Amino acid sequence: MIHPRHFLLAIACFVLASIGFAQIACAATANRASAIVSFCASDGDKAAALAQIVALGVSADVPERAWSRRMIDAIRDGALVCTADGHALIQASPPLDASSLRPLGSSDTAASGASPYVPSIVMMRRLAVASAEIDMFAPQSETRAAAARQVDKFFALLDPAIVSRAIRHESDPQIAAALTVAMAKRGLTSEVKADRLAAVKAVAEVPSETAHTTLADFAAQESVKRDPELRQAVEHAIRGIDTSLAFGKAFSILFSGLSYAGVLLLTALGLSIVFGLMGVINLAHGEFIMIGAYSTYLVERFMQAQLPAFFDAYIFVAIPVAFVICAACGMLLEFLVIRFLYRRPLETLLATWAVSIALIKLVQLLFGSQNVEFVTPGFLNGGMQVSPGFFVTYNRVFAIALALLIFLATFSIVRFTKLGLLMRATTQLRDMARCLGVAAERVDRIAFGFGAGLAGLAGVVLTQIASVNPSMGTGFVVDSFMVVVLGGAGSLAGTVVSSLALGEINQFIEPFYGAVAAKVAVLLLIVLIIQKRPQGLFALKTRT
Amino acid sequence: MTTLPEPGSSRASRFTLHAFASKWVGERLEAGLVPVLILVAVYMPFAYFVVPETNALHLSLFGINLIGQIMCFALLALALDLVWGYAGILSLGHGVFFGIGGYLMGIYLLNGAYAETHVLPDFMQYMGASDFPAAWKLLSRLDVTIVATIIASALVAGVFGFVTFRSRINGVYLSIITQALTYALMLLLFINDVGLGGNNGMTGFTRIAGFRLASVPTQIGLAVSSCLLLVAAYAGARFLARSSFGRALIAVRDDEPRMRFLGYRTHTVKLIAWCVSAVLAALAGMLYVPQVGIVNPSIVSPQLSVEIAVWVAIGGRGTLIGAIVGAILVNGLKFWLTAQAPAVWPFILAGVTLVIVVYFSNGVWGAVKPAGRQRGDISR
Repeated sequence: MIHPRHFLLAIACFVLASIGFAQIACAATANRASAIVSFCASDGDKAAALAQIVALGVSADVPERAWSRRMIDAIRDGALVCTADGHALIQASPPLDASSLRPLGSSDTAASGASPYVPSIVMMRRLAVASAEIDMFAPQSETRAAAARQVDKFFALLDPAIVSRAIRHESDPQIAAALTVAMAKRGLTSEVKADRLAAVKAVAEVPSETAHTTLADFAAQESVKRDPELRQAVEHAIRGIDTSLAFGKAFSILFSGLSYAGVLLLTALGLSIVFGLMGVINLAHGEFIMIGAYSTYLVERFMQAQLPAFFDAYIFVAIPVAFVICAACGMLLEFLVIRFLYRRPLETLLATWAVSIALIKLVQLLFGSQNVEFVTPGFLNGGMQVSPGFFVTYNRVFAIALALLIFLATFSIVRFTKLGLLMRATTQLRDMARCLGVAAERVDRIAFGFGAGLAGLAGVVLTQIASVNPSMGTGFVVDSFMVVVLGGAGSLAGTVVSSLALGEINQFIEPFYGAVAAKVAVLLLIVLIIQKRPQGLFALKTRT
Repeated sequence: MTTLPEPGSSRASRFTLHAFASKWVGERLEAGLVPVLILVAVYMPFAYFVVPETNALHLSLFGINLIGQIMCFALLALALDLVWGYAGILSLGHGVFFGIGGYLMGIYLLNGAYAETHVLPDFMQYMGASDFPAAWKLLSRLDVTIVATIIASALVAGVFGFVTFRSRINGVYLSIITQALTYALMLLLFINDVGLGGNNGMTGFTRIAGFRLASVPTQIGLAVSSCLLLVAAYAGARFLARSSFGRALIAVRDDEPRMRFLGYRTHTVKLIAWCVSAVLAALAGMLYVPQVGIVNPSIVSPQLSVEIAVWVAIGGRGTLIGAIVGAILVNGLKFWLTAQAPAVWPFILAGVTLVIVVYFSNGVWGAVKPAGRQRGDISR
């Protein structure tokens, strides 16, 4: 009777044969034993045998790949034992037959007295190369990325056919680029000029910092300097790489400006609403951000302990939680303090400052003053190479997206709901609104809570991109004040425009002159702009 | 602006403590401040040298140093009260002027230290400098330094004030911008390349005007001069506040547009008060630094600048004397409590500030001051 697995294998061979993989897949199946035999032969070419095993390992057949992987590991660990009859077994408990990887019965273990194969240093390097070659075809991208780094190290020992096949199969452009550079390094060391030219061209196709360094090192060689054609090709390639890297850098500055603008928008939105509505500057706004971040921390802890299956979703759970907690705190603050201070905005400043130092101290006592560590949800880890030198991290994309969503939500609330209507009426002319029956006190309280809640949402986002500690709010609050002053109090459009402008200006100056110079320049710019527009860029039409 | 009286906003000044207190305190108590401060100034050397240590009236050097520092803070608060209480400008950036005075004094003191030891300050060695900066040598004399401080602080205040007052930035906007200014200056001073000592600041001072800084008479002398400068500044500010200029200033505070229509150059009036206040704050910084023996970016932190406003608010703004009382009360309490129970202090400061701001908007002094000269609401 035919074993079902062999039957399936035969079908697979048939199918694969029709699309051209026949030699690799089917020959490999038959060749397990022959690879072992040639490896175990005392006078055999061990390197060739290893190549045979690798050829199986890079085939499309999943079990063959697993077998090859197991073999390489066994040889490297010194666990492969060649028996006298040309078979081999892998020392483990229980011992495995090297060909089928099935556990051996006790009757077969008689030969296990033979000593295992101990690889030499040269062999160890070959094994490392072999395992990298196999890993290049692994399904996990992390494994492939690690293999690409290995390949870069051992570029001289590589089998070019395998690497170029891996490049063709690679879906991640970053890994493909690393492999291409590794391949090209091989070409650059070649004696044949055509090979070198081709390699230079290949490197130029995948611009990156490593590609740049590789070519620069290559251009420094004497033999290259002497050859005008080669030199010209290299210089051309380096120029091309520089250009695309410069574009990438410009994009990444734009992007980091955008993400900073997102944070500014989130932190300034609540401040702007409250300032526009009540003329109140809330110095405790930064502490609401901090409370939002600590609420996220509590949610994270809770999810880790109680619902580890949904741990990654904690950031989404934290959004409503932080909003509600901060809104409640804000309404409480309004009820206890702010409402006694209307028409005395300067004193509100001091009162909210007092609240802020008390809140900082309170959180310090509860959680300690050191930074709180967060476990980033899996889907926010890492990032994506959009173009050479332009790497987009998912947490910043998340921040930008959330800022946009929250802004749209805020805009719709202010624009299309009854609460928004009452808020706008009160902002424009408080006394008239009161005369027409608007409960201005209630509007104030709700709006203050809403502003505090928005600060809490900013705190949720900041847990992913900034360090969280009790005094984190003080740094952000000065920046968000600047946004409000520049944009005009209470103007949503002004808040967006000025946070975008400040975010981008900040990130454009920072790489060249440092963060402090950026802050100082922004401040001077704002002082200059409000010379012309004292109420901000987008002053609301109020009738007070 | 039309100000409809709000139902719940009965003024805190009708609190009974006020009526009670106004029966037995008044102008006389206010007039008593100057003699009291002079008495303290005269008493300090006496208490250290003459009164035996076992006596309760004896003052340790630590205590005298503390009094000197608190007097500097009181001068700082007085400076802020001049602009906040009388011109309605709440500056959250007076630390900038305090810092200008402090850093210029630091440069002068380092000059003295270098002339004596010929060893470059640590931060300069660390930055790889081989010689004392030539520009710094300009400040090798105390009188030059004092003049330079006055000019520098007046100039900075003048430029900033001219730009902001001319474009009619006031109220909360001005507060925010001054706070940002402080924040930016602090960040700037944190950088080593600015050459003012970075994070660690300047220290290692040896002599001031030829006297050893560490010696007892110098420290007592500094504390006494802080007291006397405070008295002089108070007298000057009081004179200014009661002159026709002071009346104009109060009128600008209460209704700037009307004053402008009446033909006053309101921004000039405000600018003069602003510059005088800045100079006073800078002088306070000059006296503060030799007494603490170090100057670092923390003296221009936004935190300190807000705190100055809190001292004034607690003492009672627009009274001059209230600022002094507030600064002495809060800082005395702070020095005492941060030693006793450091964790509690922020809560107490926050609580006191909230209670004062919400219920006693005229501060401690306002609560005991006689009625009659009721000030208008400055927060328009």
